[in-house]
Amino acid sequence: MQGIDRRLIQNFEWPLFTMAVLVAAIGIVNLISASPEQTVTGMPDTALRQLVWLGIGIALMFAMLIPDYRTLERFALPFYGVIVALLVTVLIGGRIVNGSQRWLVLGPLNLQPSELAKLAMILLFARLLARRSASSPVGLRDLIVPGILIAIPAALILKQPDLGTTLVVCIVSASYLVLTRVRVFSFVLLAAFGAAAATAAWVFYLHDYQKERVFTFLNPERDPLGAAYHAIQSQIAVGSGGLFGKGFGQGSQSQLDFLPEQQTDFVFSVLGEEWGFVGVAVVLVLYLGILLRGLMIAHSSKDLFGSYLALGVVALFFWAGVINIGMVIGVLPVVGVPLPMLSYGGSALLTCMAALGLLMNVSMRRYIF
Amino acid sequence: MSRLTSSAPPSDGTVERRLRGVSLLVVSVWMLLLTRLFYLQVVQGDVYKVSAERNSVRTQRVQAPRGAVLDRNFEVLVDSRPAFEVLVVPHETEDVPTTLLRISGLTGRDLDAVRKSYGTPRGRARFQPQRVAHDLDRDALASVELRLWALGGVLTQVSPVRGYRFGPSAAHLLGWLGEVSPEQLREKEFQSYRLGDVIGRGGIERLLDSDLRGRPGGRNLLVDAHGKELDLLSRVEPQPGRNVVLTIDHQLQLAAEAALDREHKQGAVVALDPRTGEVLALASRPAFDPNGFATGVDPEVWRALTSDPHKPLMNRALQGQYPPGSTYKVVTAIGGLEEKLVDPHTQVYCGGSFRLGRRTYRCWKKEGHGAMDLHKALVQSCDVYFYKLGLELGVNRLAYYARALGLGSRTGIELGGEMPGLVPTKEWRKLRDGTTWVEGDTVSVSIGQGANLWTPLQLASAYAAIANGGTRHRTHILKRIEEPDGTIVRTVEPEVVSDVAISAATLARVRAALSGVVNEPHGTGGVMRNLPGGVLAAGKTGTAQVVGMAPGERIDSEDLARQHRDHAWFVTYAPADDPRLVVAVLVEHGGHGGSAAAPVAREVVVRFLELEQGLYAGN
Repeated sequence: MQGIDRRLIQNFEWPLFTMAVLVAAIGIVNLISASPEQTVTGMPDTALRQLVWLGIGIALMFAMLIPDYRTLERFALPFYGVIVALLVTVLIGGRIVNGSQRWLVLGPLNLQPSELAKLAMILLFARLLARRSASSPVGLRDLIVPGILIAIPAALILKQPDLGTTLVVCIVSASYLVLTRVRVFSFVLLAAFGAAAATAAWVFYLHDYQKERVFTFLNPERDPLGAAYHAIQSQIAVGSGGLFGKGFGQGSQSQLDFLPEQQTDFVFSVLGEEWGFVGVAVVLVLYLGILLRGLMIAHSSKDLFGSYLALGVVALFFWAGVINIGMVIGVLPVVGVPLPMLSYGGSALLTCMAALGLLMNVSMRRYIF
Repeated sequence: MSRLTSSAPPSDGTVERRLRGVSLLVVSVWMLLLTRLFYLQVVQGDVYKVSAERNSVRTQRVQAPRGAVLDRNFEVLVDSRPAFEVLVVPHETEDVPTTLLRISGLTGRDLDAVRKSYGTPRGRARFQPQRVAHDLDRDALASVELRLWALGGVLTQVSPVRGYRFGPSAAHLLGWLGEVSPEQLREKEFQSYRLGDVIGRGGIERLLDSDLRGRPGGRNLLVDAHGKELDLLSRVEPQPGRNVVLTIDHQLQLAAEAALDREHKQGAVVALDPRTGEVLALASRPAFDPNGFATGVDPEVWRALTSDPHKPLMNRALQGQYPPGSTYKVVTAIGGLEEKLVDPHTQVYCGGSFRLGRRTYRCWKKEGHGAMDLHKALVQSCDVYFYKLGLELGVNRLAYYARALGLGSRTGIELGGEMPGLVPTKEWRKLRDGTTWVEGDTVSVSIGQGANLWTPLQLASAYAAIANGGTRHRTHILKRIEEPDGTIVRTVEPEVVSDVAISAATLARVRAALSGVVNEPHGTGGVMRNLPGGVLAAGKTGTAQVVGMAPGERIDSEDLARQHRDHAWFVTYAPADDPRLVVAVLVEHGGHGGSAAAPVAREVVVRFLELEQGLYAGN
């Protein structure tokens, strides 16, 4: 084991680690500015709490490096089971905030199992795909079981209700389809099924306020009071940042409380307003760096499970980033998806750090054979 | 480690090929995001900078006019009248105390009230208009508007105020409004409400809130740093609420209330159409004036109302539960006939009292009624006859027939808070306090004293079933809901709950006796004679004991202090041979049914016949 440890340390995944820590640090600084209870001397409560979460997150990230990722394959199913159980528990006894039942109270901490569900889906699908031969084309029948495996946690999360996380869980899982040989016919049928499911969800599952958001996106004039207000205000914030931004703590939109959910879903607009295009570009480039590095790791992994694991993590960061930033800059409807590493939220940050830990794990063991 | 190595399946290149595609996709999406950001921040940056600096979008909610409530003849009972309000945006007001002082002076409103209404807005609320004075007329509005230029951050807007045209009339069933509470706002059900919105808090206003309130609109205004409106960015028109038509006949309602109010009586009147279950009048006294609540109720007024021992907010017609007194005797009579324990000729001797074991149960007529058959016993309300019959039936068979008439369960009226009443059985007693039911309890129950509890609405509904030949209708008060343009959204049809499991012959005998109560010599309901147009009525008196007296003891009610006096009941229907109206009256602590409640019922019936014959000309 000693030998393996030394080789592991030699192969430490520095690029990914550096980029991740940089993004997280920018996230903390941005949160200090985004917190309304800001004080001149001390740290605001939310940023401080996020810093503690980041500490735990980095520890978790390193913990994720210790076991060989291939041994994790065995835990994919049990972990999935535990997450489903937690999601059921949340619906029964979870804490309700703003009408959504998303949190489990564990002493001083609130755990959001739907965040961990993203991780569970990645592990599960990496395992499922790695076990089947990559050469045989995928028919519809092969998709029934994965479909059910997605549907269970998705339905539970939608029930909370948390449309954003449901969307991410589904899209990340579905992204694996891209990597398999799906027959064109199956793909068409699947799309039809997806459309039917979306319609059913629309009719039976979505709340009026969620439907309202979609309508508002399609026609912003419809409700100037609700979601369109968010979109207008966040675009004004980002746009008024200009090339160099207004400076830390100087954003009138963020500081005057015009921005909705500015610590969580709309945290990116604070960044845009105070750091301008330059600041936003730096963060986007770091993000892109993480994504491309992840793809490289997927490419160089010596086994399929490692590849799929890495791809899942990339899909998670990619979709959450696109949906969130797209919403903030007005090209996608308002859906509550946090921005990885930047939005306030302990469970989300832990999930991100754990996922990055997995990615590093795969990277560091690519030579060990 | 070698174990794991060997398990890795060979790759055929599919994944690698797709990886290249995925990388390309990721990079292009990121380029798109960056392009959009470049457009927003660099190309359009100055435009957004201007709108952010000049200050921002102020959102004003425009309330929809709330729908009207009308009676069955389309008389307007509740609608909204135009009024105005003054608001202050904290963030845009330099000197709040002075501004509030000026507004108080200009509107003539108490400064403390203005300050209280303004509150202590913090955080987000500092950017939203705070209402400081409401329900202003045009003159007060004009004096504020003339000086608006000097008052930064002050705005005015139209805000209709709910008007209950007849004040306390029908107040319990119409309900009242209040501001939506922070607790409600946290619930999903109230997602579409905002802080400061009004919401129905009782009666029809609450039941049909979602129909009545309509859909608020809004205006997005671009305002500068001084709160001056620069531009109207967008506007959504409010959708007015729907109108509600009730089954109530307001003229009849007024007659019922006037009759109760004449001697400051406390109680309830229910008038039903026995053919459909429609509620024609539903009065409860004491009452309150919901107009006082429409613009935000004064906490002290509210406290006075909720702590008043006479409970003016309680709708006695469906929430008050009282022992039925002798109105119960129809149940005992029906049970006796149906179980064939008596026939119309069975004679029972009433000597003024009845002995059971060591106890003596008195008839209300001390000297006794002499020989009684069923018909006479009902007409003269002889207690001894029903003591004996009830004892033969037993409490559980009595309960069976009471339930058959719908007693002990809700009549199904749409209004919230209807009480189910209570029909006691041996098992109920056992469950409630573990004691055994004794025959003496049955004796009390058989004349409507003891554990039985009915609401006035239940009594009316039960007698409606007797009057119409055995059909129980769900009582209802809602006739129709219409869009503002008159399109009908929903019509409520009469609904049969059940056909009462009592033979037609038995019901006919009971009806003959109830007619005798009014029209025969010695009948206790003689007050109902000589109705307009020669119409004959039928009915039954009742007197419900309030104080638990020693068995057999009877005190003349008129001698007691008011709060210990008996409740007076009277239930009637007319015309006796083809009933179109059932009226149940309860007068709390009124004493005898025949003298306290029957005159009230008479006024309602007379008014009904007058209205039916078109004898009145307008209001």
